Amino acid sequence: MNAGVFGALERIRADRRRFGWADVALGLWIGVLTVLVVYGATTTTGFMTVSNLKAILTAAAFVGIIAVGLTVIVLSGNLFSLALGQTVAVTAMLFLYTLQFGLALAIVLTLLLGLVIGAVQGFAVGAWGANPIIITIGAAGLMEGVAVWLSHGQSIVPPASATSYQRLAEPLLGVPFPVYVFVALTIGLAVAMRRTRFGRGIYLLGENRVAARAAALPVTLLTTAAFALTSVFAAGAGVLIGATSQNASLLLTGSYTYDAIAAALVGGNAVTGGRGSVLRTAGGAVFIATISDMLLLRGYTTGGQILVRGIIVVVVVVLTNLRERSR
Amino acid sequence: MNGERDPASSAGSRSLLGDHPVGPVLLEVVGLSKSYGPVRAIQDLSLDVRIGEVHAICGHNGAGKSTLVKALVGLVRPDVGVMRFDGEELSLRNPQDAQARGIALVNQELSLVPELSVEDNIFLGGIDVPLLYRRRRLSERARRTLDALGLAHVPLNAAVESLAIGERQLVEIARLLVRDARLLILDEPTATLSKPEIDRVFMATRELVAQGRSVIFVSHRLDEVFDLCDRVTVLRDGRVVGTHMIGEIDRRSLINLMLGEMEGAAAARHHVSERAHSGVDAVRIEGLSVPGAVEDFSLTLERGIITGLAGQVGSGTSTVLRALGGLVPDASGTVEVHGQSVRLNTPRLASRAGILYIPNDRQREGLFLGQTVESNLTVVRLRRLSRLGVILRRRSQRVARDLSTMVGVGLDRLGSPVDRLSGGNQQKVLLGRALHREGTVLLALDEPTRGVDVGGRADIHELVRDAAREGASVIFSSTELDEVLDLADVVVTMFAGRIVSVIPRADASASSVLADMTTREREGEGRP
Repeated sequence: MNAGVFGALERIRADRRRFGWADVALGLWIGVLTVLVVYGATTTTGFMTVSNLKAILTAAAFVGIIAVGLTVIVLSGNLFSLALGQTVAVTAMLFLYTLQFGLALAIVLTLLLGLVIGAVQGFAVGAWGANPIIITIGAAGLMEGVAVWLSHGQSIVPPASATSYQRLAEPLLGVPFPVYVFVALTIGLAVAMRRTRFGRGIYLLGENRVAARAAALPVTLLTTAAFALTSVFAAGAGVLIGATSQNASLLLTGSYTYDAIAAALVGGNAVTGGRGSVLRTAGGAVFIATISDMLLLRGYTTGGQILVRGIIVVVVVVLTNLRERSR
Repeated sequence: MNGERDPASSAGSRSLLGDHPVGPVLLEVVGLSKSYGPVRAIQDLSLDVRIGEVHAICGHNGAGKSTLVKALVGLVRPDVGVMRFDGEELSLRNPQDAQARGIALVNQELSLVPELSVEDNIFLGGIDVPLLYRRRRLSERARRTLDALGLAHVPLNAAVESLAIGERQLVEIARLLVRDARLLILDEPTATLSKPEIDRVFMATRELVAQGRSVIFVSHRLDEVFDLCDRVTVLRDGRVVGTHMIGEIDRRSLINLMLGEMEGAAAARHHVSERAHSGVDAVRIEGLSVPGAVEDFSLTLERGIITGLAGQVGSGTSTVLRALGGLVPDASGTVEVHGQSVRLNTPRLASRAGILYIPNDRQREGLFLGQTVESNLTVVRLRRLSRLGVILRRRSQRVARDLSTMVGVGLDRLGSPVDRLSGGNQQKVLLGRALHREGTVLLALDEPTRGVDVGGRADIHELVRDAAREGASVIFSSTELDEVLDLADVVVTMFAGRIVSVIPRADASASSVLADMTTREREGEGRP
């Protein structure tokens, strides 16, 4: 229409409408957190050291890899996977078991298992419209059952002859190998989500599933692929975690599921899908690791750490949701 | 029809058909106006409804019918004007006020709770219902009301979900009657009903007025207006153009009242297409049926020809387009594209066959509101804009620039989310994605200008004509007469799921199309 003045006026009006108190609150919160972190960083002994920085990145790496992968499911509008921890444990077990066939084959088989596990869940969600929360809880239970059945409840340890896997856990140029993997996967996935047809499809699907269907996007295929990709990332983490702990059982499940979800949420990805990014999640993972590290150095108990982390997650999620809703 | 009225009960309050109703005035509306921003929905509107009459409100889309109804039940507050009910001035702040005064609205979206029994529904939320209402007196009252509405066969403890839609509508009416509603407003009550159900509702309506209640009947269906009503008030552009006794007016003059000067101005104002054929068949539709929505729809769409489906909401026009777009799984019938039979079970299949469907609800089903204009413009051609799964950024940007220039959305908005655009521009983005796409045989546009102002509408029409000139066959639906007459080369009218007529635009007039959109039979074959 009439560009120029009217266009500019329309834009100002539109932007003002979308800038509400929720934005202000979120800004304030980010400000408060920044101040706290800076204060903590300057007053906590041992925080501002190279070795502590490495510790933070190492701590962030495992959860980060899983969370970055999870971002694909979040962006696709399918909420979360609640089977991440189990996927990590089961794939770590397979990895250590298959090391007897050689490192390369073990990695390939493990990632393949992750792919299949995720694809099956994704197909159920995409083709039958099943609820992703229920499907992934079911998958988690199934994986635990099969793992206990096949391993007879024993921990799996790598064959004595195999040592090559230990490279996956050793530092390279002073930085633990998993950190490199985390950074590389984050950058790779971030680019893929922005530049590929698959990534574009995931954003569109997450934004509006009904419209995606009407626009003839391959909804089932995209959903299947989203879960498969998330699961492959968890399997990748499974490889690294297995290599690091040299002993895999269901105990590895740990709190990876919730930590990964927390990272995606703290990063500010919209729970409803379509809005957010892989980099945000990575930032969320590093942020949580930083806070945990600081609390640890200041001598908080484990309970205290979990509590503070919980509070941060809840506030960020509430604020980002309010902001999304007021849009 | 009128013979079914009980003369004994109605003789006192009203005279026989053809005379003015003699009942005193129940509702009087004087000088009512309401604007939404710069849009005047109704202006200086006056009418009266008498005790014991069925009063029809007729008008084309946008004439102000729904605003009037909303004002009467307290859903909108008029800017100016007075409403008097039973001699007292009405000041309605909300629908509860209207209910307390005895004004009740029945519309298509019923407010019943399907899981509860008929009786529970009747008394649910009632104003004067005591806490322990399951007393015989109340049950008897419900029973009597249901019997009076012809629902003697329905037990009080039957779950509402077990009833037919027409019966549910009657239960809704019963619910309002036990609250002593004196004025019932039936807003398009028959759109979703079958013929026998319509008869039941009509019989009940006649019974109500015979008891001295009054009914306002809002409908697009002129047959029903002539069947049921005593007087009709015609609205056009927010004003009353006349109130007439039903015996004093025939269908043709009623249509002319609704259209006003349009017929005369049409030649000057409308682009009248002279073509109706290109000689090249693009898509043949044979016996397309969708249970409950479309019956036996057969049509051949030619290359470069724009076909307009004219019909009111619920006539099936939209469902035909959705079926072509692969969004109606239970559609049956055959569709051939360039002589090849195609399956249209999913949007993917339809798209592969060359049929591109653009939904009518841009917010819900059309656009990806939080995504960029570029993303939205390229969504249906991503395959061609990428190689080995990687989007070619330059090419994608160039295509998006070309398309947004074509539809007139500023280039500086390509990277903004679509929800920052005005409604008209959003609609242009939605249409833009369908333009110049390789492999498109048929463009199916469901209400292509919904919610767009006049200027934007002309722009969109020009774009659609361009697409047809480029060789696409176009089929669009519209509930707006103007739009159909302006854009179509061939006009197809539908009523209650069936095709009423297929005529070249040059042979169509506003009144003939409106008549076909609003009646079960062709003009001249039905009532006078």
